[in-house]
Amino acid sequence: MSLFIESIGFGLITASVLAIAAVGFTVQFGVTDVLNLAYASVMICSAYVAYLINQLGHGQSIWLAMVVAAAFGAVVSLVLNKYIYAPFQRRGTSPVAVVIVSLGVLLIIEYLVQAFEGAANVSYTMTQGATLNFLGLTLTVVQLAIMGLSVVFMIGLHLLLRYTRFGKAMRATAADRVLARNCGIRTDRVITLACLLTGALCGVAGTVFAINTGSFGATSADLFLVLILAAVFLGGPGQPYGAMLGALVIGVVTEVSASVITADYKYVPAFVILLVVLAVRPRGLFSAGTLN
Amino acid sequence: MSQATLFYLANLLIYGAVDVIACLGLSMQFGVAGISNFGYIIFQSAGAYTAAVLSLPHDTANGGFQSYIGGFGLPFPIPLLGATVVGGLVALPFAILVGRRLTGHVAAIGLLVTAVMANLLVTNFVPLFNGAAGLSVVPQPLQNLLNPQTQTYQWIYGAVGAVIAVLVYLLFRRITESPYGRSMRAMRDNSVVANALGKDLLSMRTAMLVLGGMAAGLSGGILVGFITLWDPGAWGYAETIVLFAAIIIGGTGNHKGAILGAILVPVGFEEATRFIPSSLGPPGMIPALQWVAIGLLIVGFLWFRPQGIIPEPRRRIFARAQARLAHARGDQSPQATLATAASPPSGSPAASGGAILSTEGVVVSFSDVRAVDGVSISVGRGRLTGLIGPNGAGKSTLLAALAGTVPIAEGRIIFDGQDVSRVPAYLRARLGLVRTFQLASEFKRLTVVENLLSAVPAQSGDTLRGALRGRRYWEHDELEAIEEARDLMDHFGLLEYADSYAGNLSGGQRRLVEIMRAIMAKPKLLLLDEPMAGIHPTLARTIGRHLQTLCAQGMTILLVEHELGFMDEFCDPVIVLAEGRVLAEGTMGELRGQSEVVEAYLVG
Amino acid sequence: MSAEETSNAKSTQGAALATELLSAGYAGRAVVQELSIRVEPGEVVSVVGPNGSGKSTLLKALVGVVQVLSGKVLLDGKEITNWAPDAAARAGIGYVPQIDDVFAPLTVRENLEMGGYLLPLREVPGRMTHVLEVFPQLARMLSRKAGQLSGGERKMLAMGRVLMLQPRAFILDEPTANLAPALANTLLEDHIRQLSATGASVLVVEQRARAVLAISDRTYVLTGGRCRLEGTPAELLASPDFADTFLGGTRHASEPAAE
Repeated sequence: MSLFIESIGFGLITASVLAIAAVGFTVQFGVTDVLNLAYASVMICSAYVAYLINQLGHGQSIWLAMVVAAAFGAVVSLVLNKYIYAPFQRRGTSPVAVVIVSLGVLLIIEYLVQAFEGAANVSYTMTQGATLNFLGLTLTVVQLAIMGLSVVFMIGLHLLLRYTRFGKAMRATAADRVLARNCGIRTDRVITLACLLTGALCGVAGTVFAINTGSFGATSADLFLVLILAAVFLGGPGQPYGAMLGALVIGVVTEVSASVITADYKYVPAFVILLVVLAVRPRGLFSAGTLN
Repeated sequence: MSQATLFYLANLLIYGAVDVIACLGLSMQFGVAGISNFGYIIFQSAGAYTAAVLSLPHDTANGGFQSYIGGFGLPFPIPLLGATVVGGLVALPFAILVGRRLTGHVAAIGLLVTAVMANLLVTNFVPLFNGAAGLSVVPQPLQNLLNPQTQTYQWIYGAVGAVIAVLVYLLFRRITESPYGRSMRAMRDNSVVANALGKDLLSMRTAMLVLGGMAAGLSGGILVGFITLWDPGAWGYAETIVLFAAIIIGGTGNHKGAILGAILVPVGFEEATRFIPSSLGPPGMIPALQWVAIGLLIVGFLWFRPQGIIPEPRRRIFARAQARLAHARGDQSPQATLATAASPPSGSPAASGGAILSTEGVVVSFSDVRAVDGVSISVGRGRLTGLIGPNGAGKSTLLAALAGTVPIAEGRIIFDGQDVSRVPAYLRARLGLVRTFQLASEFKRLTVVENLLSAVPAQSGDTLRGALRGRRYWEHDELEAIEEARDLMDHFGLLEYADSYAGNLSGGQRRLVEIMRAIMAKPKLLLLDEPMAGIHPTLARTIGRHLQTLCAQGMTILLVEHELGFMDEFCDPVIVLAEGRVLAEGTMGELRGQSEVVEAYLVG
Repeated sequence: MSAEETSNAKSTQGAALATELLSAGYAGRAVVQELSIRVEPGEVVSVVGPNGSGKSTLLKALVGVVQVLSGKVLLDGKEITNWAPDAAARAGIGYVPQIDDVFAPLTVRENLEMGGYLLPLREVPGRMTHVLEVFPQLARMLSRKAGQLSGGERKMLAMGRVLMLQPRAFILDEPTANLAPALANTLLEDHIRQLSATGASVLVVEQRARAVLAISDRTYVLTGGRCRLEGTPAELLASPDFADTFLGGTRHASEPAAE
């Protein structure tokens, strides 16, 4: 029983990391219409930037480094969209071909990181903090911080999308770009800001992913990308609330399976759930529209 | 040449054969049938595993240091055949996934996730697959007869691999160049239209996934027999990207391109970087940069040369057929062989009367709008019936519902005495109920004559089996169909464009291609959705007369058109639809006299 | 009535909308050909014509959704030819498309807020109150998603969304398409006429010719991308050619079909 509760705790941590990543991914897809598989490589690249900051001088706080990583992720995401994906879209390249382009970008970024940082894994210099016990869960301060951060981001994004003019403009742009322009919304600016925002989420996701896994290398996020896709498609692509739910399901199911079945197959039940959902409802659980 | 160089060359030949076979399979799926299978590498992996366990002795034989299924110790070539079969079998669940519902990038992601899941299962399941360690000391084919370490063995192995690659190429080309291959390219260009012309998408996608899977499995079997190792870690999705890179660079939709890509990317690239001194940079930098370069090549080619180094060839089948016929005819007059062209379409002549199609209270709803709201009509056999009405009256929706492109919520559709209300679109097409589309729907990357041929019902080479039987089996039918197409193209003034891509024609010409294609289907009932839009009035009249002729020969036509002058001249009766309901029916002259029809147009 | 009188009498916010020899279309092919129309401030002008006569294309060219190939679009004498849709909105053009006229996944309130996107934030509630006075039905469903509205409610929302900005020129593409006849008449009589009351110019394309004529000051009749007839409703209804342009048959069949 305690093992089960413990695994739910792990599940919530995985879900927290996954939620930050998946929500960023899905909002980016909703606004830009690009299924950007290179997202995972931007995550890992940002995690490396955080590592470089972390190792500067006598060592810097990883939380400070995360802020830099977020800024880095934001800029890279914007550059990718503006100078690679958007030109392909303007030319009328098919969505599937743009996905292949993003796979090419994934290779470029991941292996540039590997070329300069080497194939060996690295770890942040940081303390895990005290261990806390409550409700039968044993969590470190850092793990709690990750969960707290994730909750803060989810609430923040919710407030942004529901209650700010920019957030609503983003949803309007995702729903109907032409009509948004008819309302006077400069959709190109909205897309730029959305790329910066989701890129920052991507940078943060990369850093907390690296903190959570302990040590990481250039290709460590490849499997995580599939988890992100699973969460995103489970909730319906372009749906932030769907992605949150998807992340929760995938995260918890994965860790509970690790304790109930065996760690070796922990991802399998989550993927089976995804495939069943895709087969029954190809557009995911929330298929009403985009960014809603 | 030194011994080392010769060994190296033999090695290259083997790797080359493996990659060529794998790329050919992917080219078939992605390039010809348009399936983006990001999980392709799993088929190769499955084939390799099968070949390994078929040739390995029982897993207790080597002191039980690795565990796997069976261990059958079977001799060459059984492991290779097994690899091929299993590669194809593994593709079946993938086919269910991308069957009818999942398309586009959702399907691509579904396949990617499936592949990763399969890889995780395999990597972790020790009893069946020996876990992440994989399998080693896989026996090499015929190693009892000839020492695998000798150069002779390796050259023979390479030669056998190359011969198999050539055979796979010839087999795939045979399929691609057949009417069946043409149907797949039609599906790739526009699956909805292909379906409306009677193509069974599920069966074609399944066939291509299985066939590609067999090629991948075979290539895995050849590889594992040579390197004697099966490492599940080596079949990650990055490997699939490499194969995609290969066919994108070589040229999608062209098997020669796939071969060139296989030689350039997985083989050439790997080898070229061997010659860069590894002392350059930190360890691991060169291999990493190699991946970077593959990424750059993918993005660069898709931007600068999306068609690849060897683009898909335009198939000049019309010119070829004409040359062949001219040759066969000797100095006979060219008119002599045109006899078949005038063959009447199936169905009984106009005289028999009665309704070929009738509907009872058909309703089509989109969310809260009832676009078609209880329509009961009957279309007389051999008549050229018109369907008119103001914008938003539900004309196109009704046509789509009759053809099965949109489902009906209520009511019944009786076609030729049979209730087809729930029959899928492609089967309705095969029953003789064929539609055209309001928006341009020609197959852009098929030539005009190929567009026409794609509609020929039950053509002998338009099944996998027919395609495999070869050109001799289907060529006679094909030539007949080409003659028929020739007549039509001549009639509508498009003969000189027979071998041009339909996508390169003007708007009006493309409409003509669609109409001709629908006629080629020899439907019992032809549904035309605004066929004259964008067509010059003089030509519209030519088309009208031709349609009348077809009706006189027994075809029935239901036609939506907003050019009422055309209705006046050619259609009788004309049905008026407004607000999703039938408002009136009669000749145009009668309708003009009815105030409610005039009101419908003025008031809406 | 003349332009000066109208604009002075009612408000200063309206603006004359005009085209000069406008040709527009897709992929370089002109669907609308050399069309010159004019809408004065405070005036309701309608464009009618059979299917495929280029009515929608004309409107889309005015708001920058379809490319203008030659000729000019003028708003109060200022050229706005081929301005991007968002720039046209800023210039004072309010466009209600025929379909895709609301943000389906957004709530009614959010749709109205997006309509007022260009306003300073503090002015939005005031404008929204005004719009809800014009369309009181919307007040009851502010938190409902636009995608769940009925056809009539949806069209009112689309018009309300545009009204948020108090545009100087309204452009409406078949506002009554897919509406029941009674509802369509209410919408035309109660609301569209009202839009011009503040002095804005209103250009409306309609399939329901007779109904729209009843609320129009002037009407252009399009066939084959060109203007066939032009006049006041009374003139047109008296003209024997008018009904013929819709059900006329062969007389116009020699025109190349548009769209």
